Order: sequence, then C-alpha cells, then structure tokens
Amino acid sequence: MSKLVADDGRTHIVSPLMRESLVDRRVIKKTQTENELAILPDVTLVSLGGHSIFDRGKAAILPIAEEIAEVRKRHKFVVAVGGGTRVRHTMSVALDLGLPMGGIAQLVGAMEEANAVFLNALLAKHGSIVMQREHFWELPLYLESGMLPLVISVPPYHFWEPPTDGPIPAHGSDFGVFIHAEVLGMKRIIFVKDEDGLYDRDPKKHPDAKLIKSSTLGDLLGNMPPELILDHTLFGAWRDARHVERIQIVNGLKPGELSRALAGEDVGTVLTKEVARG
Amino acid sequence: MAEPIERKSLESSLSGSPLTGTHYDLQYSPEAMMPDVKVLKIGGQSVLDRGRAAVFPILDEIVKAKDSTQMLLCTGGGTRARHIYSIATELELPTGLLASLGGYVARQNARMVQMLLAKHGGIYIMNDDFEKLPLYFKLGCIPIMTGMPPFGYWEKPSPEGRIPQHRTDAGVFLSAEVLGAKRAIFIKDEDGLYDDDPKKNKSAKLIREISAKDLLARDLPDLAVERIVLEYLPRARYCHELQIINGLVPGNLTRALAGENVGSIIYKG
Repeated sequence: MSKLVADDGRTHIVSPLMRESLVDRRVIKKTQTENELAILPDVTLVSLGGHSIFDRGKAAILPIAEEIAEVRKRHKFVVAVGGGTRVRHTMSVALDLGLPMGGIAQLVGAMEEANAVFLNALLAKHGSIVMQREHFWELPLYLESGMLPLVISVPPYHFWEPPTDGPIPAHGSDFGVFIHAEVLGMKRIIFVKDEDGLYDRDPKKHPDAKLIKSSTLGDLLGNMPPELILDHTLFGAWRDARHVERIQIVNGLKPGELSRALAGEDVGTVLTKEVARG
Repeated sequence: MAEPIERKSLESSLSGSPLTGTHYDLQYSPEAMMPDVKVLKIGGQSVLDRGRAAVFPILDEIVKAKDSTQMLLCTGGGTRARHIYSIATELELPTGLLASLGGYVARQNARMVQMLLAKHGGIYIMNDDFEKLPLYFKLGCIPIMTGMPPFGYWEKPSPEGRIPQHRTDAGVFLSAEVLGAKRAIFIKDEDGLYDDDPKKNKSAKLIREISAKDLLARDLPDLAVERIVLEYLPRARYCHELQIINGLVPGNLTRALAGENVGSIIYKG
C-alpha cells in the first residue's frame, strides 16, 4: 500500500523520489539504470524525404510507394514523411512576417500532413493508415494486423520550440523521426533521400563532394560536415540515446535500395552508434 | 542513365538550402504576440500539494488582479509526478514515456485550479487552445493550462538519468517566450533561489539576483528551476527574466504582478 506523508505541510506519496528536487543532480543520478525497456524493438522506422522524394512528384513517389507496399509483406516498419519545399516556403514567409520561432514550429507540421495524405491515398489498398499522434498506443494494433502506419516527422514542440541562436526551429523532421524510433526502442532508422548517402558537402552544389559509406556517431560528432543531409539536433540526441544502433541513408530514386536496406544490406551510408576503436 | 526526376520547388529565401545550421544571414525581426500577458506557474510540490491552506490565498490574489492583468496560469506536477517517475524508473521506461506520463499530473492540477476559479472566469485550456488566448482574455477569463510542454513521447533522452529535462518550468518559460512576455513568474514555497535545497540544508543562501550564465557557472548540485531553462535563457528573444517568489507569503504575488522584484530574479545573460 502506498502511504501518504504530510509532516511538512505538503502531502507526499511515499516513493524513492518523495520530497526530492528533480533538479538535484544527486537525485537525477539515482534514476539512471543500466538498461531501458525497448517497446517495439523489431520495428524499423523508414523516413521518406519531403524535399528529396515528394517534391519530385509522381515519377519519384509511385515507384517508392510500390516498393514500400511490396516490402511491407516481409518487414515490419513505420513510414514517417517529411514536408519538403512547402515547409521551406512556410518558414520563409513566416520569417519575413516576423512570427515568433515557436509560431513557425507550430505551422510546419501541416505540410507534412499533406504528404502523409498523398502517400496514404496511394497505399490505402495495401493497408496504410495515417496515425494521429493521440493514437500513439495503437501502433502495435496496426503493425500486428499487417497494416502500414504513416506518421508525420516533425515533433510536436509547436509553440514551445526552445529558442536557438538562429531563427529556424532546431527540432526539425529528422530529429522527430529519430526520437520517434528511439522512444519505441527501435534499433534502426532508414532515411530515404535523393542522394546515395551522406556526403561531406552538399553534392548538389559541390560535384567533388565525397560520399561517406560508413561512419560512427563518435567520428561524426568529432568532425561534423558543415552541410549535412540530416539535422544536427539528431546527432546530439543520438549521443544520449539507448536504442537506435544504426541509421542508414539510401537513395529512393534507385529502385530496390530501400528493400535491400530493410533486408540488412549495407547500401547507401551506414552510420552506427558505437565509437570507432583505435 | 535516365533523366533525373526534377524537383518541383517553390522559390523562397530558403529553397535549396538545408534547414540545418543557424542561418545568420536571414532577415528576421520578430513581432511579440502578446507581450502584456503575465505567465505564472503555480508549483506542484511547493504549492498545490499543500492543499487549501496554500492554494486559496494565492487564488485570492489572482482573482483580485484579474481585471487589470492578463494572466496565463500554468500548473506544476508534484508528488504524484514523483511517484510516477519512481515507478517508471523501476520499470526502466524511456524518458519520452516519463514526459508523457508526468503530463497527466500537471493536467489534473490545472483542472483542480480551474474548478476553484470557475466562478471568476477560470477556464481550463489545452496546449492546442493556445491560439484562443486573445478570446479568453477579451472575455475576462483566466486561462489555466498544464505547465508541461507538449513534447511527450518526443522528449529527448536525458544525458543522465531518465527524468525529462523539459518539465513544467521549461513549459512555462517557453510559453512566456512565444507570447513575447518579458518575465515568467514561478510561485513556490521558498523566498527565492537558494544555493542549495533550503528544505534540507538550513545554511543554504538566498540569491536575490543572478544571470543565467553565472548561475550555471556556479554548477550548484540543486536549483529551484529546471537547468535546461537556464541554458535557454541566454538565447531567449523575449522572456529575459525568471522570477521566483514565495506564494505562502501574503501579498508577494500581488507585488510581483505589479512588477516588483520580490523573491529572486534570474536574468538573461
């Protein structure tokens, strides 16, 4: 039975954190455990880029949608969609109007929702469903019944987006995808983009940019390329994370790459959590 | 090699650029949304868990101020949140679940305050109702909301332990920041910010005024406000001050609402 204690004017429930300040480092340390429960460890999160796939229209979307429908028969995964050029346009107008940064964060998710509807229209006959955030715990139902849940990527920080030095919200879509996978204990994320992987510079602007076939989080944090295909915030969160072991970036314009990545092949760029030895 | 499939891009100042990095080159002069709103937090463990004796006098002061001051009341969690975090820790649940679960308690507290203030126009609002604040104020209402930001399952893993870094202090600060309010007021049960927990260390010293950077640099083991708020404060565009007051001392809240520096002030810098 839980006991109540009210000897200092406050009513407490007896627990190891009773009366404690949750800001106290000594208390925080006590909540550290060696392991953490993995809720859906056998599920993969597949992110479909807005700018890289959806903005290219039918010619890019249809083949990848067909591939997703086919490969879903063999693998359990959730698809997260990005927003693309409309997100950039939204931000550009919002910045010009001088909207607060939290206000900008509040706006952008709608453009991803539109892409989720596009994809759902194509995949509904294969069992896709747009998962609303308040239906978070229905994910196992969808997955176990053979359905294909689609989610938007941007995290629900909305008006409460923390301030940064620049005006662009730091918690963008790549971070949102990452955290969605991490909180559910997923081991891997596959980002489907329009490049063969992660480059040391933006390959669209620099023809001599070098493809990084594989790297570790430790190496990347130590030597972060200035123009990345993924948000920087993702890497900071990965450092403190427990579950995501592997982040792969594949080219969705090349048929079969996503399927090969889901089968465990090292196509595209493979980033792993462990720090390089030696 | 087939023709590359063309992107159908909208021309804008951000088209073609990655959304990573700081973009210092962008033109940006933000407009404050509702700079006159006072954002208040009623502490969970410090105030609400004390029940009627502590809560009623504070609500009386709020009711007295309501016709002259637009106030957004936010609530903390308290001992039930600690109980949830303890069990969740034992079960080794991820931080995102703790953030989501901790949110239930602060929402209960907001609902309790709403019931007490209903006859004075108290209205319970969800994070999604934030855009209706102008209406509530126009009608003379006192909106009451959870202090937790809506991050929930999307809360970042913490560098150490599993207590979410963004809890009700962070939510209150971020609410003030997005509204463009200069100060967020935290109603607690101590006279302000101390250099250690004054409930456990009787020789803890009161700090009347300090900058966020200086406070972080002192690297105190315990603080009256969530550490992450101190990390955000130097980057804030609007909310430049956190005021911590003792709500158990009659008149303190009224003085704070009038702009007096009662309690402690942590300022940007």
